Amino acid sequence: MTSSGERRRRDDPWAAFVEAISVRQDREAFAALFSHFAPRVTTYLMKNRTSQQQAEEIAQEALLSVWRKAQLYDPRSASVSTWIFTIARNLRIDASRRERRGGAIHVDEAEAEFALDDAPLPDARMAAVQSEARVRDAMRTLSSQQLKVIQMSFFEDKTHGEIARTLQIPLGTVKSRLRLAMNRLRGLLDQDA
Amino acid sequence: MTITHHPDEEMLAAYAAGALDLGQHVAIATHLAACGRCRAFSRVCECVGGAMLEDEAPAALAEGALDRALRRLDAPAPAASAKTQPVADDLPPGLPAFVKGYDFGPWRWIAPRIHVRAIALPEPSPTRVLLLRSAPGTKLIHHEHTGVELTCVLTGAFSHEGGRYGPGDFDLGDPSVEHEPHIEAGPPCICLVAMQGDLKFGGLVGRLMQPFVSF
Ligand SMILES: [Zn+2]
Repeated sequence: MTSSGERRRRDDPWAAFVEAISVRQDREAFAALFSHFAPRVTTYLMKNRTSQQQAEEIAQEALLSVWRKAQLYDPRSASVSTWIFTIARNLRIDASRRERRGGAIHVDEAEAEFALDDAPLPDARMAAVQSEARVRDAMRTLSSQQLKVIQMSFFEDKTHGEIARTLQIPLGTVKSRLRLAMNRLRGLLDQDA
Repeated sequence: MTITHHPDEEMLAAYAAGALDLGQHVAIATHLAACGRCRAFSRVCECVGGAMLEDEAPAALAEGALDRALRRLDAPAPAASAKTQPVADDLPPGLPAFVKGYDFGPWRWIAPRIHVRAIALPEPSPTRVLLLRSAPGTKLIHHEHTGVELTCVLTGAFSHEGGRYGPGDFDLGDPSVEHEPHIEAGPPCICLVAMQGDLKFGGLVGRLMQPFVSF
């Protein structure tokens, strides 16, 4: 377990920066993480119908969460970019609810809504996911067209019709590319079954 | 617990991306509480999100963004909204922790051998969530719905043309599907149901159901 943890840390250059924050509140490590991730989180949020100003504000909050929660980060369960993706996703959901409720009250519901209960399930397939590198490998086997459709469909919250119009492809092609891509990712788990 | 019916991959990907409305999210989270296979797939989708984040083109931030963040590092974290609502002590097993904190209405009789219990979400959602309890041996009437309906079994079991559904199993009903589930002998069958749109029932039962439909 330790050895796989070590291997993970080598795979993910950002894990050492989070550890530096966790161990010694290293501000330079924070600055490096902020400079890399805050502009990318901002882009991701702006693709999700968020204004630039609000996207930047949520990106600030996301990186502040990295600072405050560095001790909770487990490099064996997710890469830093995946961890930050989930933080940004949760903050985006909370921010849109706060806005709908008039903006006055702090909302922090999404994190609990995504927390899977602690009770571990006896499923060998969980082990496969510990190796996030394999997900990246599988993504490399997807065509850029398939990736684009996954990205627009789930991470930019676009309907199949909108995707078809944007990419100027038939609706049926959108659906078949998505299905193929999903099967590829599912296959990643079933290899070990 | 052997789970044989799962949400499709696209729904799990939408869950992981944070693209589901809260009612649908609750139904998927309830399935994930029981299903390691789908948990693993949702984690894969989060990894896809991480990889995409890594590949995003960096946006140009407002001047001084980093300095502003550095100045905020020593500020205290905003107090978590501590919601220590009492959890109803008569809830069925299998609900995710955050769902147990919601307000549950009383069980209401809606048809012979069938009761429902509304779950109040903290957020307006186009998808309503409720518990549906059916006595063993009941044959549910055919109903049409105008939107998709997500069902996750908590206790007991039912069968329909699509197979047998026991605890943890997930069933997706869409407007084109006509199913008449039959509740198995044994314990009462309690399901968490998340549904969009309105139910349309014919006949007497439909009229009996109206108060429930408009809750
Ligand atoms: Zn499943």
